[in-house]
Amino acid sequence: MYSPVWALSLFIGISILLFLLFRPEKGWFWAIRKSNINNQKIVIEDILKLLYHSENQDKILNINDITTSLNEPESNILESVNEMARHSLILIEGENVRLSESGSDYALRMVRAHRLWEKFLAEKTGFAESDWHHIAEKKEHELTDQDTDYLASVLGNPQFDPHGDPIPTKTGKVADIKGIALSDLDVNHLGRIIHIKDKPDIIYKQILAENIHIGSQVRVVEKDSNRIVFHCEGEAFKLAPIIAANITVSLLKKEYISEDNVARLSMLNENEYATIIGISKEMRGESRRRLLDLGFVKGANVKVDLLNPLGEPKAFLIKGTSIALRNNQASKILIKKD
Amino acid sequence: MKKDNIENLIALSNDLRWQIGDDFHDNLTEGIYADAAEIVSAAVHKKDEKGKLRFDARIDKIITSRTWGFPLMFLVLATVLWLTIVGANYPSAFLGNILLDHIHPFLKTLATNIGFPIWLNGFLIDGVYLAVAWVVAVMLPPMAIFFPLFTLLEDFGYLPRVAFNLDNLFKRAGAHGKQALTMSMGFGCNAAGVVATRIIDSPRERLIAIITNNFSLCNGRWPTQILIATIFVGAVVPQSFSGIASLAAVIGIAVLGMGFMFLTSWALSKTVLKGEVSTFNLELPPYRPPRFWKTIYTSLIDRTLIVLWRAIVFAAPAGAVIWLISNLHIGDITIAAWTIDLFNPFGFLLGLNGVILLAYVVAIPANEIVIPTILMLTVLVTGISGGAGAGVMFEADSANATGDILRSGGWTLLTAINLMLFSLLHNPCSTTIYTIYKETKSVKWTVVASILPVIMGFVVTFLVAQIWRILA
Amino acid sequence: MDTLPKSACEACPQFNANGLKKLGINTTEFDFVVALAGNPNTGKSTVFNSLTGLKQHTGNWPGKTVTRAEGGFEYNNQKFKLVDLPGTYSLLSTSEDEEVARNFILFGKPSVTIIVVDASRLERNLNLVLQVLEITDRAVLCLNLIDEAERNNIEVDTRSLARDLGIPVVATSARYYRGIPELIQTVSDLANGRIHCKPHRIKNIPENIEKAVQKLSIELKKEFPEIPNSRWIAFRLLEGDRHIIELLRKGEFVI
Repeated sequence: MYSPVWALSLFIGISILLFLLFRPEKGWFWAIRKSNINNQKIVIEDILKLLYHSENQDKILNINDITTSLNEPESNILESVNEMARHSLILIEGENVRLSESGSDYALRMVRAHRLWEKFLAEKTGFAESDWHHIAEKKEHELTDQDTDYLASVLGNPQFDPHGDPIPTKTGKVADIKGIALSDLDVNHLGRIIHIKDKPDIIYKQILAENIHIGSQVRVVEKDSNRIVFHCEGEAFKLAPIIAANITVSLLKKEYISEDNVARLSMLNENEYATIIGISKEMRGESRRRLLDLGFVKGANVKVDLLNPLGEPKAFLIKGTSIALRNNQASKILIKKD
Repeated sequence: MKKDNIENLIALSNDLRWQIGDDFHDNLTEGIYADAAEIVSAAVHKKDEKGKLRFDARIDKIITSRTWGFPLMFLVLATVLWLTIVGANYPSAFLGNILLDHIHPFLKTLATNIGFPIWLNGFLIDGVYLAVAWVVAVMLPPMAIFFPLFTLLEDFGYLPRVAFNLDNLFKRAGAHGKQALTMSMGFGCNAAGVVATRIIDSPRERLIAIITNNFSLCNGRWPTQILIATIFVGAVVPQSFSGIASLAAVIGIAVLGMGFMFLTSWALSKTVLKGEVSTFNLELPPYRPPRFWKTIYTSLIDRTLIVLWRAIVFAAPAGAVIWLISNLHIGDITIAAWTIDLFNPFGFLLGLNGVILLAYVVAIPANEIVIPTILMLTVLVTGISGGAGAGVMFEADSANATGDILRSGGWTLLTAINLMLFSLLHNPCSTTIYTIYKETKSVKWTVVASILPVIMGFVVTFLVAQIWRILA
Repeated sequence: MDTLPKSACEACPQFNANGLKKLGINTTEFDFVVALAGNPNTGKSTVFNSLTGLKQHTGNWPGKTVTRAEGGFEYNNQKFKLVDLPGTYSLLSTSEDEEVARNFILFGKPSVTIIVVDASRLERNLNLVLQVLEITDRAVLCLNLIDEAERNNIEVDTRSLARDLGIPVVATSARYYRGIPELIQTVSDLANGRIHCKPHRIKNIPENIEKAVQKLSIELKKEFPEIPNSRWIAFRLLEGDRHIIELLRKGEFVI
């Protein structure tokens, strides 16, 4: 009755079944669970957000636009749109759909929840930057108004989310961002990055991979229809204009002290001395505080103390003590070589 | 009235925070350091500006060099482990002789003379006393050697450099370089290793280090590995190679453990622990000559005795249970025999047997008593001669005699290899589980750390058994 | 075993060697509470051990003491309870260690706080010292590992340091019991009010923050006229410290 071949096959069969059930995102178990939670609420809230963002860009959507933009069966969307109209969240004018006042309020609350949660993920958790948007996209539907208010107070009522988008206040006030797209910045003009769009996903991930972050100063050195070249914190970047258009910068006056001779601590060689001029904004939350507490503050002198047999971490001598930092930390500390 | 004022105060602070913006913390820290620099420039005079002892710099250059860094590290670890395993044999044998061969019979006679009923005599002396004595004899000497050696290295300042050298490997697995040390500490005792994770100050990496510490073969498991490897693995190769073969098998298991440690660390950091906060910092302190005797004293008090005490507290009831299951009957067979029958089919599926599984269940408190329990249970169920009676753990006089008993219990090379694997991959001992709970203060992580290795053990031994049987 | 008198102070009439008793952990009743703060790896635990006669493990390894350790000593018939706080680089962040240390200095109301620093790494250690001095005005700086600094050819002018910080400074080498008698004497003087401190307050803060701090601090003083460290509370409020806000709300805020 027992045969090792049978036992092994049975085991492999069960393993495959478990994998199909529980694999992340696409597992059947998660799918079943997802279909059990109130689906219509989520669809309605997604439509509200879509309308809100389009109207902010002065685009009026029709029902067809909505069905193509959302990854939901058409019947669900139509049903939800009817439901929304019944609760007068939206106004239907012929084919066009617009937010009513109450719909606009609702949408703002969703945006507030979403951006606060992203801020929370950035400051208080270890999730990777590329995951923030997706997690917040799910979480925003679960947060009640009390939850968001509590979250806001825990985070110290922040004004902006980690992408630089303003977080609406409880009363619906939204600070506006004044800036231009990086692709519109002229050659030799200075700007500071104030916003990076987190959609579409492919472009956002590309920007993240380039290590471009909010708060950095940029100077365009070359520009044509195929690419835009700019200096940012001591490094040169080349981007296609379509990607650069997703980055918003605020114009800086020309006489602003140029940070062109800025380098990263990770680029410091042995036997070189440098002065720290700051920690890049991409270092957040607990990690940032820890670096400051360890003495990596503006004006501190630093040199390489020890190289590592495996390349990293390297130890740096700072304020009399040898502190080892990994490359991804050292590359976020801005220095000026002496 | 006062309440309103306080609400106003809080509202005011919120408003001010908005005005100041995000840089408050940065500005404050910079301000404090600027003050510090002013004060220091007035009060401190350095005669030479190097800022670091030349002696320190020279040691650092060697210890972290490409050529010498790693050989030196392995040499140090190997020396410490060798001193521990080999050096502990003598005091262990001595303690075993006194506690097991002399005091145990003496207590038995004493109890009989006083007029203890036989059940109480067996329960207390054969059960509780014997388990405690065994744990002390096997556990105390290696720990009393290992921990002071480790502590001396620590006090000198060598260990932070090890973490520095190895961090890149651990980083790839999503872990912290200091885990190299908590892992090495785990080679001494997993409970001590778990306590040592306090040096990792990043929540995510610390949890990883706690959960994976069990993959370091601890002192309680080295002797099992060595004994089984000598009896079964050593026997399949020509006599002259048997020593090397069994040594290679044991080292192989330890290395496999490290492999599982990296794999599990990586999997944890990518899945369930993804959202925990992760920071990295590693201070390399100056070298300080350790104060030899003081270090030995504190490490004995602080680490060895505390761990030993906990082990004893857990071992005593285990001894009682072992005696009870071997002496209480269900119908006309003992609880032990009944349970072994129950476990046998599952054990067979894993290439083990019911005796081994039962031994691991009752020996949760201390891995040290696994082999004595297996021997006792094997004699109990096979009915062969030998041993000291139902519920009385014993160890055979030689490896050969142990091998004979085990073979008559139906053991093959597969059983031996799977036992070695299962000894590596099973739940932590109860002392460690308790310590994990105390350190994490979380039932969830304690359960994960306890269950995860057993599941891995089941899967690995199962796969090995099936493939072995298909090929054989 | 190493308690041979190595310092001049032990012989001088001011220090009453016979009046010193190490109480270990028998700290049932005491006259004063003394907190021991300091950066990791400054020999804080060694100072703790040489004051109390306890043998807590002290590794050359930052971050040994995680939970609070307590011990005690008796000097001139007064009992001192000593609390060893976790070693931290700062008191401004949110890690568990820092919260323990911060809350004890703020709410544990220690009569004296000993701040242990590494004499060779004074600048980095002052980060914590200056923060502690914002909270409490009865503190003594224990300039530890002074032997190591001497070997490094680093000279520290303790008088200038004491003047700038506004608190007494004692140079020690706790491993060799050097300076410990002076430290005990100073702690006793502070506890009994024989020394008064004028602690340094953080100066180099950008103007907009300084203004905000002052504004808050004035409001705080109106509500709680008796608190000595309104500036620190203002710092914490600006940081958004939930713990402090909650205490304010509950009205349990008595300092």
